Amino acid sequence: MSFLSLLVFSPLLGIILLAFVRRTDTKTIQWLGTAATVPPLLLALFAFIRSGSGFRLEQLDESYDWVRLANLPFFTDAAYVIRYELGIDGLSLLFIVLTAVLGTLAAVASLLIKVEKKGYFMWLLALEIGMLGVFAAANFIWFFLFLEVTLVAMFLLVGKWGGFERERAAYGYLLYNGLGSALLLVVIAVLVARTGTANFALLHETLHNPVAEGQLIAPLTAEARYWLLGGLLLAFAVKLPAVPLHRWLVRVHVEAPPPVVMLHAGVLLKIATYGMIRFGIGLFPDEFRAFAGAIAVLGVINILYGALLALRQRELKHVLAYSSVSHMGVVLVGLGALNEAGIQGAVFQSVAHGLIAALSFLLVGVLANRIGTTDIHRLGGLAKAMPIFSGYLLTAALALLGLPGLAGFVGELTAFLGLFETKPALAAAGALGLIFAAVYSLRAILDITFGHTRERYESTLGLRGAKESAASVSEPRVIDLQAKEAVPAFVLVALIVAVGVYPQLLAEPLATVLETMMNGLGG
Amino acid sequence: MTLSAYLALALILFCIGLYGALTKRNTVIVLICIELMLNAVNINFVAFAKYGAHPGVHGHVFALFAIAIAAAEAAVGLAALIAFYRNRKTVQVDEANSLKH
Amino acid sequence: MMNLAWVVPLFPLCSFALLLLFGRKWKKASAYVGIVATLLSLLAALGVLAGRLGGTTYEANWTWMQIGDVTLTAGFSVTALNAWMLVVVAFVSWLVHIYSQGYMAGDERFSTFYAYLGLFTFAMLGLVLSPNLLQAYIFWELVGLGSFLLIGFYFYKEEAKAAAKKAFIMTRIGDVGFFIGMLLLFWQTKSFDYDDIFRAVGDGTLSPGMTTLTAILIFIGAIGKSGQFPLHTWLPDAMEGPTPVSALIHAATMVAAGVYLVAALFPLYEASEAAMMTVAVIGGVTAIFAATIGLVQTDIKRVLAYSTISQLGYMMLALGSGSYVAAIFHLTTHAFFKALLFLAAGSVIHAVHTQNIEEMGGLWRRLPWTAPLFLVGALSISGVPLFAGFFSKDEILAAAWLNGSVELFWLAVAAALLTSFYMFRLFFLVFTGEARHDGDAHEAPMSMVGPMVVLGVLSVASGYIQTPWFGSFLGEWLTDGAYHHEAAPGWIAVVATIVSLVGILLAWLMYGKRTVPRDWLSARAPHGYELLRRHYYVDDFYRWTVVALVSFISRLLAYVDRYLVEGIVRLVTGTVSAAASAGSRGQNGQAQTYGAVTVAGLAILVVIFALTGGYWL
Repeated sequence: MSFLSLLVFSPLLGIILLAFVRRTDTKTIQWLGTAATVPPLLLALFAFIRSGSGFRLEQLDESYDWVRLANLPFFTDAAYVIRYELGIDGLSLLFIVLTAVLGTLAAVASLLIKVEKKGYFMWLLALEIGMLGVFAAANFIWFFLFLEVTLVAMFLLVGKWGGFERERAAYGYLLYNGLGSALLLVVIAVLVARTGTANFALLHETLHNPVAEGQLIAPLTAEARYWLLGGLLLAFAVKLPAVPLHRWLVRVHVEAPPPVVMLHAGVLLKIATYGMIRFGIGLFPDEFRAFAGAIAVLGVINILYGALLALRQRELKHVLAYSSVSHMGVVLVGLGALNEAGIQGAVFQSVAHGLIAALSFLLVGVLANRIGTTDIHRLGGLAKAMPIFSGYLLTAALALLGLPGLAGFVGELTAFLGLFETKPALAAAGALGLIFAAVYSLRAILDITFGHTRERYESTLGLRGAKESAASVSEPRVIDLQAKEAVPAFVLVALIVAVGVYPQLLAEPLATVLETMMNGLGG
Repeated sequence: MTLSAYLALALILFCIGLYGALTKRNTVIVLICIELMLNAVNINFVAFAKYGAHPGVHGHVFALFAIAIAAAEAAVGLAALIAFYRNRKTVQVDEANSLKH
Repeated sequence: MMNLAWVVPLFPLCSFALLLLFGRKWKKASAYVGIVATLLSLLAALGVLAGRLGGTTYEANWTWMQIGDVTLTAGFSVTALNAWMLVVVAFVSWLVHIYSQGYMAGDERFSTFYAYLGLFTFAMLGLVLSPNLLQAYIFWELVGLGSFLLIGFYFYKEEAKAAAKKAFIMTRIGDVGFFIGMLLLFWQTKSFDYDDIFRAVGDGTLSPGMTTLTAILIFIGAIGKSGQFPLHTWLPDAMEGPTPVSALIHAATMVAAGVYLVAALFPLYEASEAAMMTVAVIGGVTAIFAATIGLVQTDIKRVLAYSTISQLGYMMLALGSGSYVAAIFHLTTHAFFKALLFLAAGSVIHAVHTQNIEEMGGLWRRLPWTAPLFLVGALSISGVPLFAGFFSKDEILAAAWLNGSVELFWLAVAAALLTSFYMFRLFFLVFTGEARHDGDAHEAPMSMVGPMVVLGVLSVASGYIQTPWFGSFLGEWLTDGAYHHEAAPGWIAVVATIVSLVGILLAWLMYGKRTVPRDWLSARAPHGYELLRRHYYVDDFYRWTVVALVSFISRLLAYVDRYLVEGIVRLVTGTVSAAASAGSRGQNGQAQTYGAVTVAGLAILVVIFALTGGYWL
C-alpha cells in the first residue's frame, strides 16, 4: 500500500470497525473513533518531519488507472483514462498536517456529543478522509470527489447533530456549497475536455505551453481563461467565504456541534485558500494578476465587514463566526497582494486561523456544555468559577486579535507585509481591522470571564431543558476545564505559540512551492 | 385522394379518442377511448399498406398485431379495473390516488 | 558578557512559566521565584552594562522567518541606550517584586500576580533588547498584554474590566499606526533593522516625505503607549490595577516605552523637521494639558497618573527639541521618583484603605517612613534644587530653549509650576492637617518600606549622573563620548527653581496653612473647574464621536447583513422553491394530466417542426 493512500484512507478502517460496535457502547465508540484519527496524524507528522530533513515529497506520488473509457467517438485516442493520482508538495503537506492534528483533537473534543455517537463518528471520519483527500489529490477529478465527500459528511453532521436550527443551517450549507461545487465542476469539465488531462502537473504544463507537442485540442483562448479563473475564484469565494456570500458560514458556526465547527472553521474553509493558490495562481498566473486588485479590495471589505459585525453580536458563536469572516479577509488580502509575502501570508493566516478557530470552538463547546448558554449578556465573571477555562479563553481571544507571539500575528503580518508592497493605501485601511479585532474579541471574552459573577446563570437555568437543569441543580458548582478537555486545548495553545514564536516552522516547507509560483507569476 | 380520406378519418377518430382519454373520469370510457385511438392507428396502417409509397403486406400484419395486443390489453385493463372496483367501489380515474396520499 | 544579554529577559519568562504551572501549589513561595528571577535579571543586566562600558555595540541575529529571498531576523543588540534601559527596567522591576510581597499579601491570586509581573518584565526587557523594528513591535504588544492583564487583575470589578479593555484598545489604536509605519518602512528600506533604516535615512534612499510619514506613524504608536494626548485617556483608568503595577508599568517602564522607541529611532526623527516638531508639540501640549487636569483630581493614584502623563510629555518635548540625552535622563529619574511616589501611595492606600485624598489627612505621624519618602519624591518631581528631578527637568527646559521654540519653553515652565502645585496639594492633603478617616493606619511592613527607601535614595542620587557641576556621565555614555553640553543660559535654572518653589508655596497656602480658601479657583471659574474635573470631556468626546460612529456603522451593517444580504439569498431560494412548487403542482399523479401535457408538448414540437420545415441541428 502506498503512503499517501494509506494516509488518506486510514480512517476508513475506523469506520469499518465502528460498524461492528453496538450503538449504545459509547465508550468504545469514543475510543475507537479517536484512535482511528491517529494513524493519519502519525503519517502526516512523519512526512512533515521527513520533508524537513531533505526528503523529496515527489517520491510519494501515486498514479493508477481508475476508469478507462475505450473508443469513445469524440476522443480519437484509443482510450480515455481517468487516473487515480495522489501527490503532495509543501503547500498541501502543511494543510494535511493541520487536518490530521485538528482531526484528532476534534475527535477528542467529541466527548461532548451524546446522541447517536456511532453515526456521528462514522461521518466525522468520512469528513476527515474527504479533507485529507482534497489536499492529497493530484488530479482535478479526485479533488472534486473528495470535496464532495466533505460536503455530504458536513451536511449530515450539521443536519443531524446540530443545534435548534440545524436543518436550516445544513440546507444553507448545502445550497451555497453545492452551487460552488457545481461551478467548480463546470470549470473542471471544461478544463479536462479542452486539455485532455485532469492531472495538476500536466495541466500546469499544458496551460503554460499551450502549443506543446502531441496536444490534440487547440489551446484555451485568452478569454476562456479569464472565464475559467473567474469561475474558479467564485466557487472558492463561496467556500472561503467572501462577503457577501458568507451567510451560510454564520449559521453553520452557530448550529453545528462545536467539534465539527473545529474542523469546519479549521480546515474546510482553508480548502478555499488552497484552491485559490493551487488552481488560481498555479494554473492561471497571468490572468490572476487582473483579478488581484479586486481580490485585495474584497479582502479589506471582508476584514472590516466581519469585524464590525462581530462587534455587535450577543452570541459568542456569532462573534466567532464573523471573526472567521474577518480573518478570511486577511487571506484574500494576502492573495491580492500577489507577491511572495502575500501568498505566504495567506497560507500562514489559514493555518493560524485553523488552529485558533479550533481552540475557540473547543472552548465554546465546553462553555455550552457547562453553562448551557453562550450568550454574552447572560455570562460574566466566569474567571472565578472556571479559572483555567477562562485562561484558555483569554488566550484564544488574544490569538484572535493577533497578539504577537501567537500564530495569528504571523499570518496578519506577512499578509499585510505583502499588500503594503503593492497597495499601501488599501493595506492601511485593512490594518484598521486590527483595532476592531481587539475590540470585538476583548468585548466578548471579557464580558464572559471578567466582571461580576452575578447569578446570571440562574436565569439561564430556567430556559434550559428540564433534564439538564435538574442535573445542574444537583450539581450547583460549575466544573472547570477537565484534563481530557484541557489536553486538546493545551496542544492547540502550544501549536499557536510555536507558530507564533518560530514561523520558520511553516515557512520552510513552503519555500520551494512559493518559488515555483513566483516563477509562474514572473513569467 | 383516397389516402387523404382514410387519413382524415383516422385523424378524427384519434382526436375523439384522445379527447376522451384525457378528459373522461370514468375508467371504462377512458379504456374505450384508448381502443378508439388504437383503431385510428390501425386504419392508418391498412391505408398506407394499400395506398402508400411502397404498398405491401407489412401494414396488414401490423394491424393484426395491434388488434391482438389491443384485445389483450383491454382484457388486462378491464381485469385490473374490476379488481379496483371491488376494492374501492368506484371506477373514477381521479379517485385512484391511494399511492399519492 | 554582552553576548549573553539574551538571558536577561529569559529569567522573568521562566518565572512566568513556572508560576503559571506550579503557582497554585507554591502559593506564598511564588514571590521568591519572582524576586530571585528578577534579581538574576538585574545582575545579568549589570553584567551587560559593565561589558558595554569596556566594549562597543554588540548585535546578534538569527533567522526568524524567510519570505522568498527576504529573511526576517530576530536577535538582540547591546547599545549604550539599551544597556542603560535594561538596568533601569530590571532594577525597578526587582524592587516592585519585593514590594508586592507585602502589598499583595493575602490575595487569592498571589502567584498569578507574580506570574503576570514576570511576563511583563520579560516583555519589557525584550523590547529594550530588540535590534529591529519588527521585534520591537512584537514585544511592544506583549508589554501591552502584561499591562492589560495586570490592570484587569481584579477581574471581578467591572471598573477593572473596563479599564483593562480600554487600555488595550487605546494602545492598539496607536499600535496600528506603528504597524503601518513599520511595514511602510520595510518596503522602503527592505529591512526592519534599525541600522539599515538609519543607513537608508542617511544615504537618501528614504524620501523626505516618506521619512516624515513613517516617523509620525510610528510616533502614533508611542502616543498610544506613553499616554500622550489624544490617546492618553486609558492611563488614568489603568489605575484600577494593583498599585505596585501602577508603579512598575504605568509610571516607570512601559509608559516610557514610547519615549524609548522614539529615542531608539532618533536618527529617523532627526531627519525630518516636521516629525520633530510633531513630537515636541504633542509632548508640550500633553505636559500642560495633563498637569491642569491633575490639579483637581481627588483620587491619589489618578493625580499621580496625570502627573505621569505630564512628565512623559516632558520627555517627548525633550526628544522633539532634539535632546535625546535629556529625554533619557528624565526617563531615568522619573522612573525612580515616580515609582517611589506610587509605592508610597500604595503604602498610604494599604494603611487607610481608600484612594480618595479627601478622606485622608494627618498621616505624617502615623506613617513615619512613608511620609518622608513621599516628600522626597514630591520634591524631586517638583524640581526643587539638589533633587534628581531638578537636574533632568532643567536639561529639558534648556533643550527647549536652545531649540528656539519659545512657546514650548514657557509651556513647559507653566507645567512645572502646576506640577509642584498639585504634588504638594497632594502632600498637604494626605499627610498634614487632621485625620479625616476612621480606624488606625499602620506603617507598611519592611518588605514594602525597603524598596521605597532605595528608590528614595535614587530619587536624589540619580540626578548627579548628569549635572552642570560634576560632568555629563550619562550624556557621554549615551553618545559614546561625542556629547558636548551646550551651555544653557543660567537664568533657566533660576526660573525653574522659582517656579517650583512658588508652586509649593501656593499649595501650602491653600492646603497647608489654609490662608487661601480651597474653593478659591472653583468658585471663581466654576466652568473651568468642571472642565478640568471632567478631564476636558475627552472621554465623552470619544464616546459621542468615534464610539458612536463605529457603533452606528456596525448597526447599519448588521441590518445590511440581515436584510440585504440575507434578503438576496432568500429571493434566490424563494424563486427556486416557488418554481419547484409550481412544477410539483403538475406532478399530481393523474395519468390524464400527464397525457395532456405530453400531447401539448408534442403538439408544440409538431408546430415548430412544421414551421421550420426540418431539423435544426
